[in-house]
Amino acid sequence: MTLRTKLTLSVTALFAASLGILGYSLVRLETGYMTAESAREAQLIKNTVGRMARDALVQRDDLLLLSYIKFQREQSPALEFVSVEWHDGDRVRRHHIGERKTSRSEMDRTLRIEDPTDAKRKVVLTIGIDENVLGAAVRVQIARLQRDLARLFGIALLIGIVFSDWFARKITRPLAALSEVAGQIGRGKLGVRLEWDSKDEIGELVAGFNHMSVRLEELDAMKKDFVSAVTHELRSPLGAIESFLNLMEAKMDGGAPRDPAQFRTYFDRIKANVSRLSGFINDLLDVAKIERGKMECSLRPIRIQAVAGDVVQFFEAKAKEQGVTLQSRLDAATAPVHGDPERLRQVFVNLISNALKFTPRGGTIWVQGEQFREEGARWLEVSVVDTGKGMDQADMGRLFKKFEQGKNSATRVAGHHGTGLGLVIVKSIVEAHGGKVSVKSQVGKGTQFLFNVKMV
Amino acid sequence: MAMRVLVVDDEEDYRLIIKDVLGGAGYDVRTAEHGEAGLEVAKEFSPEVILVDWMMPRMDGETFVQTLRRDASKRDIPIIMLTVKQTAEDELEALHFGVDDFIIKPFQAEDLLARLRALARRSGS
Repeated sequence: MTLRTKLTLSVTALFAASLGILGYSLVRLETGYMTAESAREAQLIKNTVGRMARDALVQRDDLLLLSYIKFQREQSPALEFVSVEWHDGDRVRRHHIGERKTSRSEMDRTLRIEDPTDAKRKVVLTIGIDENVLGAAVRVQIARLQRDLARLFGIALLIGIVFSDWFARKITRPLAALSEVAGQIGRGKLGVRLEWDSKDEIGELVAGFNHMSVRLEELDAMKKDFVSAVTHELRSPLGAIESFLNLMEAKMDGGAPRDPAQFRTYFDRIKANVSRLSGFINDLLDVAKIERGKMECSLRPIRIQAVAGDVVQFFEAKAKEQGVTLQSRLDAATAPVHGDPERLRQVFVNLISNALKFTPRGGTIWVQGEQFREEGARWLEVSVVDTGKGMDQADMGRLFKKFEQGKNSATRVAGHHGTGLGLVIVKSIVEAHGGKVSVKSQVGKGTQFLFNVKMV
Repeated sequence: MAMRVLVVDDEEDYRLIIKDVLGGAGYDVRTAEHGEAGLEVAKEFSPEVILVDWMMPRMDGETFVQTLRRDASKRDIPIIMLTVKQTAEDELEALHFGVDDFIIKPFQAEDLLARLRALARRSGS
């Protein structure tokens, strides 16, 4: 059963039920009123007959009484019969007017009336009133009321059905439209929107739905970007390795290189591409860990200046080759911090290699630290500072997103392969240490990456 | 007389590979690491074919090609674009701004050599 049918049926049923209850109470009320009315009429007949009997008794004329009763019977069809016992001293005369029809429901009332001047004279009357006759008018009235009510009920029900169908359609139409759009999304047409302008729950639902659809499209685009970036990042070094191997094969005579120096160059390039590949795959694995929420760091008290010193030493040769000064200005006496040395090493490697990529000859890169207190805890704010080319706001906004680096070709660096995964990993590691990463930069002046670690 | 080929690419690997592949096939190769440097080299080297990357710092391939096509003395040099961009739309766009051929990276040495030969045949040199 469709939602529309259900809604129509339930609204109609509600309508019918309330009409029914209303009609039933009306009929009950009317019936009660009519019953009281007929009881009053029966009483009236009895009183009238009693009054006549009294008059006849005073006038000592039983025939007058009979004549009165006959007249009364013509006036009140409900008066079925009257038995009269006329006592005059010891003489008793009996008269019966009308017939007792025992099959009908009757109310017998007995009246005993005495002459106030002579106790020996009295009349005993038995009055039979046919209730069916008495109630006939009432029943006709109630039947008419019921007929009117039924007609009214029918009209109201018809209006109810039309209204509830309209109402159900109003509610189900956006739902049908939504399910149509959902079907389109299911068939892969992401980003479709439903135009629906209403300020109610349906309007909210449609707005939420549209938001979801757009978000899905974005996610899909991100997925495609990610796949194509990963493919490129894998194909590029593999293609280079293959090309160098082909060149080596072509430049050999009987298994020996014609030009050993050239072979050395090829060998170095292959090695560089292999390490680029394995570095990228390690980064991918780390990112996969982050996505699963599994970037775990085992924190223990460590000397962060030692970790920074190691990394600086590791990059020293490369810095010298680029004509860049690289140093750690962390105080050797810095108190220990809570950290995972392997993970923090990764942070320094990423930040320093980034700085090296963007710092021209003659520039300086250094690591510095500053202690501060927050909420009763002691923190060390570590930063990697360079005097490189810096970034604008747009670049900074993209920093911690996957594969965003290099989208701005103005800041692309010759021969530099950036995937943008490094900073995603840095951010996640620092957050696993309970700290935060931030960046300050000025185009042409340099860049400063900052992160916090808790001190012991 | 060896055919003069100018290679403009920001990636050292590609410069080295193309230089050695073409050098081995008897071409006279010069390299530059971005568009600006490429224009400088083109002035005194007067290449007969140019291989150019699309996305480079300083000056990208598109600007490089457009600049050359405006220069009366160099507008007829055949240009092959070598790029990681790989959609049909990218290729169409490149053909619109003036390249003669389009090769997707990473490429096979044989493919590059065959296309160079075809280009040389068509330009009549």
